[in-house]
Amino acid sequence: MAGREAIKRAVQQVRPILSVDREEARKRALNLYKAWYRQIPYIVMDYDIPMSVEQCRAKLREEFVKQRHVTDIRVIDMLVIKGQMELKESVEIWKQKGHIMRYWKESQDPKPTDFLSKFIQGV
Amino acid sequence: MTKYLGINRLSKLFQIIQEAGGLKQTYLKLYRNDDLKIGTLVGIDKYGNKYFENPYYFYGRNRWIEFPQHVGMDYDGSQIPAEWYGWMHYKTDLPPTRDGCRPKYKWIADHSENLSGTKESYMPYSTTPPKVEAWDPKAKK
Amino acid sequence: MIRAPLVKALGALGSPTHQIASRAVRTSAIVAQTPAKAPDTIEVFVDDIPVQVLPGTTVLQAAAQIGVEIPRFCYHERLAVAGNCRMCLVEVEKSPKPVAACAMPVMKGWRIKTNSEMTRKAREGVMEFLLMNHPLDCPICDQGGECDLQDQAMAFGSDRSRFTDINYTGKRAVEDKDIGPLVKTIMTRCIHCTRCIRFASEIAGVDDLGTTGRGNDMQIGTYVEKLFLTELSGNVIDLCPVGALTNKPYSFVARPWEIRKVSSIDVLDAVGSNIVISTRTNEVLRILPRENEDVNEEWLADKSRFACDGLKRQRLVAPMVRMPNGELQAVEWESALIAVAKALQKANGQIAGVAGQLADVEAMVALKDLINRLEGETLVTEQDFIKGSGTDVRANYLLNSNIAGLEEADAVLLVGTNPRYEAPLVNTRLRKAYVHNELQIASIGPKIDLSYSHDNLGSDASLIKDVCSGSHAFSKVLEGAKKPAIIIGADILERSDGAAIHATIAEYCEKLKKPDWNPFNVLQNNAAQVGAYDVGYQPGLQRINQAQPKVLVLLNADAGKLTREQLPKDCFVVYIGSHGDNGASIADAVLPGAAYTEKQATYVNTEGRAQQTLPGVSPPGMAREDWKILRALSEVTGTPLGYDTLDELRTRLEDIAPHLTRLGKLEKASFNELSPKTATSKSISGGAIDVKQKELREYFMTDAISRASPTMAKCISAVNKQQRQDEAKQSVAI
Repeated sequence: MAGREAIKRAVQQVRPILSVDREEARKRALNLYKAWYRQIPYIVMDYDIPMSVEQCRAKLREEFVKQRHVTDIRVIDMLVIKGQMELKESVEIWKQKGHIMRYWKESQDPKPTDFLSKFIQGV
Repeated sequence: MTKYLGINRLSKLFQIIQEAGGLKQTYLKLYRNDDLKIGTLVGIDKYGNKYFENPYYFYGRNRWIEFPQHVGMDYDGSQIPAEWYGWMHYKTDLPPTRDGCRPKYKWIADHSENLSGTKESYMPYSTTPPKVEAWDPKAKK
Repeated sequence: MIRAPLVKALGALGSPTHQIASRAVRTSAIVAQTPAKAPDTIEVFVDDIPVQVLPGTTVLQAAAQIGVEIPRFCYHERLAVAGNCRMCLVEVEKSPKPVAACAMPVMKGWRIKTNSEMTRKAREGVMEFLLMNHPLDCPICDQGGECDLQDQAMAFGSDRSRFTDINYTGKRAVEDKDIGPLVKTIMTRCIHCTRCIRFASEIAGVDDLGTTGRGNDMQIGTYVEKLFLTELSGNVIDLCPVGALTNKPYSFVARPWEIRKVSSIDVLDAVGSNIVISTRTNEVLRILPRENEDVNEEWLADKSRFACDGLKRQRLVAPMVRMPNGELQAVEWESALIAVAKALQKANGQIAGVAGQLADVEAMVALKDLINRLEGETLVTEQDFIKGSGTDVRANYLLNSNIAGLEEADAVLLVGTNPRYEAPLVNTRLRKAYVHNELQIASIGPKIDLSYSHDNLGSDASLIKDVCSGSHAFSKVLEGAKKPAIIIGADILERSDGAAIHATIAEYCEKLKKPDWNPFNVLQNNAAQVGAYDVGYQPGLQRINQAQPKVLVLLNADAGKLTREQLPKDCFVVYIGSHGDNGASIADAVLPGAAYTEKQATYVNTEGRAQQTLPGVSPPGMAREDWKILRALSEVTGTPLGYDTLDELRTRLEDIAPHLTRLGKLEKASFNELSPKTATSKSISGGAIDVKQKELREYFMTDAISRASPTMAKCISAVNKQQRQDEAKQSVAI
């Protein structure tokens, strides 16, 4: 009985969010990438950010590469959905300039990592 | 007839230029005040501010001030002292030069302009004691 | 000799040995414990649930055994039963009247009903009477939110009032009493539970409080106008079930629901009492005791409780360096660290470290590691101890009988110590044993008031030899005792013949030793002391004088025993600590550390129990945790210590002494360790033995924190004022 239960667990498919296999997830991610890529010139223009289209594309690539290690299809799907939301917000000008600039984290100081700078900063 | 041809305006312009003392002075005045008006000098206060009035202009524009030359472009409405404030803002029609019943006391402080944005500007400070009192090495026990 | 009048008055219930038998049931003065060989229990029924209890158990305790809490005001586990608040009335089947559960021992087969109609009605009636004469000032009462009366009125009181007498001011009002700078009294709120009176006479041992008048005119007070001055006075605040006795420095400061509570350890004496730090908006508001049966029961000494306002004064908030003009000037951490590191590097290994009263084990280990890495050797504690290798053996400097163990002692000799002020909660244990266990106590030292009667054998040091050779009368008492104990004050071991005293007593204790009982005790008075010896610090500042160091690091060393004159002219003194006191004023560089409420740090108490403090607030300004300062310093000197986090440092601690990370557990010194061979000379040079804290006024300010505390200053002036008044009265009488 218990063994059967275990087998059932093992073969049980997790319920997919959107994609059923890796290939589909990959396609979704690529589609999102393309959509952002094409939108970037308009974002630069609409939001009047002090960044060039090339810089923005480099950032886009960076944001995608950051998630390169993700292999779980459901996680990929979720990230794609969130990326889609971000894109939608950018396209519809629901964001403001600052929200776009947040990708560059200009106003954030990197947190100290070694003991002495942590000590001096008091963190 | 002259009214229709706008000659009266022209003559007014000449009058203004004449009053100001030549074309250059007119230009400078316009540059400094963004306005060219003529009127009767009602009074001069101790800071050198000149107060003018001309009922020809509409109410609200018929009393004005010319700040002294030495303040340059750094003039400010708050340079008008309290005694002229009332006249400038139509609280009274009697300028302080003609109003005999203005109080004059020794203790009345001299007028000072708004110091915001300058070094002397007011800086609020906390009046609550600090939560932790620091040790002062100089304080004797 | 009647030692516990109330207990004996209810003698039918209590026997002198009752409190030894069981510590599982929180017994106090009254639970009768039959000897273990006769465990014939009787069966009673609480709300129809059968309970097996020992004969003599009260109804209230029987109910508590199955988790039924009966409301009470006057009853307290650690105090004698008074039975006067009547709140604990319960119905017992076939009894015509409700019985007071706290005072009534159960009989076989009783059916107790804690929630019947009669019980509820009785409670409601009692509550109505109490509230009739209790002011409705909960909104301005400091007890509001943690008030027993408030809670129980909600739970057991009536939902409406019959008190209609709003025009005639017939409500009882009592004048407030001035009983000192620590306890605020609003006597109108008093419900006459007499807990404070019982605490004062039973635990604190000062019969200052009492009642006058009867019935509606009854008043709690000090009879004549005087201050309730004892080192334990703060506990009556916790005991008071209403807001009649409240914390004076804390009055109108905060409400209990605004407060964040952090469980921590007290370090102002060597007992290591468990405390709760109440904080709000990064500020320590008050300190309350936390229950720990093995250390402080549920009491707390006044210094530990009230000196917490010293944490907000005289603080070091920025690093300071002495400028060429001779003045300390606040600088940034970088420049302070560089200045100290330069001095350390130049010193060529001639570096010494001194650990003071409040130094935590982590910082001491970090300092030791740092100095050893820079090839320095001299690491000492401010407090001296016997010369030679006395600290190599752990039993030599511990309170080997344990704090809780002293309760079981039946003969105690105090040598050059005043436990009442050096460790008030050890003294309450001795007093408890004195009251309930017929403990016989003698002391060698000056005549002092220990709050219980004891034999003062005299103050001459030669008496020690007499007692230890067995020729003194008290030797017979010690030798005849089942659990004898000799308690040596840490201060007398600072004497030049300290080693001899130590050795003589240790040798005698070998003789007195029982299986499972070590009679040799040293009562430390600094929280840091045992920890310092455990990690290998040497006692005594003489080593500093011998070493003539180029750089001296003071870790919380504030006792003022070390002066600039004793040090070489070019010695660079670094002070690491939380308060600007003696240490900081002689320093060339001051590095601000955290106080005990601001860091997670280990302290070992006088019986060898490692416990840790937890941070309730963050260190003020630029202050940092002490071990982090040393770690940062080590990096600037180019010899970084091998730990970046507290966990890594604790691992290092475990390598040195594993018991330091077994927090809360008592690590006894092993039995046979006690070696009297440590002494080089065995001649006690004689001369009077003295103790530092003889009177209450000497108790309040003993360390940097309490010296900075305005409340403690007020206490001292109150004691002085009281004494002047007493003297004036006496001179009038003469």
